[in-house]
Amino acid sequence: MTGSRALFEALKAEGVRHIFGIPGGAIIPVYDALYDEHEIVHILTRHEQAAAHAADGYARALGKPGVCMTTSGPGATNLTTGILNAYMDSSPVVAISGQVPTKTLGTDAFQEADMLSVMLPVTKHNFIVHTVEELPATIRLAFRTAMSGRPGPVHIDLPKDVQVSSADLKIPAEITYDKLPKLEPDPEDVRMAVRMMVSAAQPVIYAGGGVIWSGASAELVQLAELLGAPVVTSLMGKGAIPEDHPLSLGMLGMHGRMAANLAVTECDLLVGIGVRFSDRATGDVRHFAPRAKIMHVDIDRVEIGKNVRVDLPVIADAKLFLRAVLAGLRLQAQKGRTSEWLERIERLRRDLSPRMDYDEVPIKPQRAVKEIMEVLGADGIVVTEVGQCQMWAAHFYQVRRPRHFISSGGLGTMGFGFPAAIGAKVARPECDVVNIAGDGSFLMNSQEMATAVVNRINVVSCIFNNGYLGMVKQWQDLFYGKRRSAVDLRGSPDFVRLAEAYGGWGDRATRPGEIGPKLREALKSGKPAILDIPIDPEEHVLPMVPAGGRLDEPILT
Amino acid sequence: MKSRIFSVLCQNVPGVMMRVSREFTRRQINLDSVTVGIEPTGLARMILIFNADDRMAEFMRRVLLRAEPVVDVEVIDPSRSIVREVALLKTKPLADDRMWKVIAEIERAGGRVLDSRNGVVIAELSGDHEEIERVVRSLGPEVLKEVARSGQVLISKE
Repeated sequence: MTGSRALFEALKAEGVRHIFGIPGGAIIPVYDALYDEHEIVHILTRHEQAAAHAADGYARALGKPGVCMTTSGPGATNLTTGILNAYMDSSPVVAISGQVPTKTLGTDAFQEADMLSVMLPVTKHNFIVHTVEELPATIRLAFRTAMSGRPGPVHIDLPKDVQVSSADLKIPAEITYDKLPKLEPDPEDVRMAVRMMVSAAQPVIYAGGGVIWSGASAELVQLAELLGAPVVTSLMGKGAIPEDHPLSLGMLGMHGRMAANLAVTECDLLVGIGVRFSDRATGDVRHFAPRAKIMHVDIDRVEIGKNVRVDLPVIADAKLFLRAVLAGLRLQAQKGRTSEWLERIERLRRDLSPRMDYDEVPIKPQRAVKEIMEVLGADGIVVTEVGQCQMWAAHFYQVRRPRHFISSGGLGTMGFGFPAAIGAKVARPECDVVNIAGDGSFLMNSQEMATAVVNRINVVSCIFNNGYLGMVKQWQDLFYGKRRSAVDLRGSPDFVRLAEAYGGWGDRATRPGEIGPKLREALKSGKPAILDIPIDPEEHVLPMVPAGGRLDEPILT
Repeated sequence: MKSRIFSVLCQNVPGVMMRVSREFTRRQINLDSVTVGIEPTGLARMILIFNADDRMAEFMRRVLLRAEPVVDVEVIDPSRSIVREVALLKTKPLADDRMWKVIAEIERAGGRVLDSRNGVVIAELSGDHEEIERVVRSLGPEVLKEVARSGQVLISKE
C-alpha cells in the first residue's frame, strides 16, 4: 500500500467523510489516490485559509474533527490563520499538507516551508511523517490528540516521498470518539462544589464552549433549574442553554447583555464551566464578580487561575462534573432558592431586554438580527463574520441549541464566517445555515462563492452592509475623537451582482419588512445566496464595556 | 522574582527543545540554564533554570505539562538536591610566576589542570553555580581567554 492510499484508509478509520482542500505540487500523489476514493468527498476551496475555516465550521457544527488538506509552502502557510483560529476556540481541525521530499528538507527546495516550526505555536500538536511506516499511527494519534481533553487543531506534514513509497501497512480499526476517556472530577472537589452551591444566596453559572464540547447542555439546564441560578455564557458558550430559557441571561462581557453583566457583578457565587475568563468577557478583573466566590471547572488546568482568582478549581470534564454535582445536590434537602434573587434576575431580564423592533430606513442591524432569528427558528445554524455584525449577532440573537451558533472568538478572524458556514452546511445539510456578515469581513473570503455554487452548498450570507470597517470605526468614534482613519470601504462590489456573477442567488433588502420574505426566498432558491442589507452606517454596537473597563459601567449611547 | 528549577521529563524526539523553550519565549522569560540528558528509559530529562514569581512559576508548570511531548514536570527544591555545574577554563598565555599562581587558585577551588603548554592553562572546575562564578570572576578577563560551562545538572537527594 502506498502512503497516499494508506492516508485515505487511515482517515476513513477515523470516520472522515469530507475534506476541504486545494492540491499542489507536493501533494499530487495524495490527490491521485483521491481519484479512486469514493467514500470521502473532497471539496475544492478557492483559498487554503477558507479550507481551514470550513474544516473548523464543520467540526463545530458536527462535534467531530474537520479535515483540510493543502500542498507545501504557500498552501500550507495559508492555513495558519485558520488553524490558529481553531486553536484559540478549541476546535478539532486536522490539517494535512504536502511537503518536499525528506531528502531535500532544509535545502530551500521549491515551495518548501519549515511547517513543523510554523505550525508549532498555532496547533495543539503537530507532526512530520518521516517514513511511510509511521503514517497510520501518526494519523490515529493526530485525531486522538485533536479530540481528547480540550479539543484543538493538529497539523501533519507529509513529505512527497512518504506519499509515494509503499509498505505492508496495517490500518488501525475504526474508532468512535465517545470512547475516549473523560476526566472524572475529584469527589472531594464535587463535595466542596455542592456545599458552595447550596450555601450561595445569589449564584450565577457562567458556561462556555467546554459545556458544548462535552455535550453537557441538558445537565447545565438541570443544574440551573435545580439551583435556581441564572446562566450567562461566553461567546463560545452561546447555545449551551436555550437562550429563550427563563434562566438564560445571554452573553457576558464587552458586548454582553446588561442583565448578564449585572448579574455577574451582583452574584455571590460564580460557577465557571468550560470557560477561560477571557479579557473580553471579564473586563477589569479587579472589579469582576467582586462579591463572588469563583468556582472554575475546566478540562485544561492551564486555564484555571490564569485570568481571575479562583476559590475552587476543578479539573474535570464538564459533563462528568455536572452529573456528579447534580447527584450531590439531589441528596441535599433543597431549601428553596431565595426568591429574592430569582425576582431580581427576572427583573433584570425584563427591564434590560434589548430593543430590536426598529422600523427605520436605513435598516437598524438589531432589526435585521430579529428578522433572521424569526426566519431561522430554533433549527437554523447561525455563523458570523467578525466585527460589528458578529457582536450584533452575539448580543441580540437568541440561540436555542448547542452547535447552532458558530463564531470566531479568540482570534477574531475576519473572513471566517463564510467558509465556516460552508463547512457547517456540509456537516449539517438538513439545517438552514445563515452567515451574518459585514461587507468588510465577507470580502476577505468572498471567492468561496465559487466553492459553494459548484458544490451546491446553499448557505445564505446576510451582509450587514455599512460601507465601513465598522468595529474599527466604532472604536475611532468612541475612543479616538471620531478621527476615522482607513475605515471607509467604498469600492466594494454590488453584492447582488457578485452573487449572480458566481451563479448564486442575490437580492437586496432596503426596508426592514423585506428581510424576512427575501431571506425565505434565498433559503428556497436552491442556490448559495447573498442578501445585501444596507444598514445604518452610524449605528454602534451598544452597550459596550470599554477594554479593561468594569462590567457594570458600560457605554450606553 | 526567584530562581526556579524545573526538571522536565519528555519524549526524546526532534523539536522537543523548541516546544519547551518557546513556552518561555512567549511569556518573556529568559532561561538561565538548560541541560538535557537521556534517562535509562530513553526519555529525555531537561533541567531548566529561570526566574519567575510564584504565580508565573506555577503557570509555567501547567503550561509545560500541557505540551504534548512532556511527560512530567518536577519542581526542584535546591536545598534537597545536589546541583552541579562543570566549567572548562582556558587562560591567555601567562608568564611563569603568574601561571603558577593561577594554577594554585584553581586547585584551591577544587579544580584540576587538564593541559598546560606555552603558558596556556586548561583546567576543569565543578561545583555549584556560585562557586564557579566566584573563580571565574576572581580570575577575570585579564587571565581567562575562554570559559565553557555545562549549565546546571542536578539530582534529588531523596
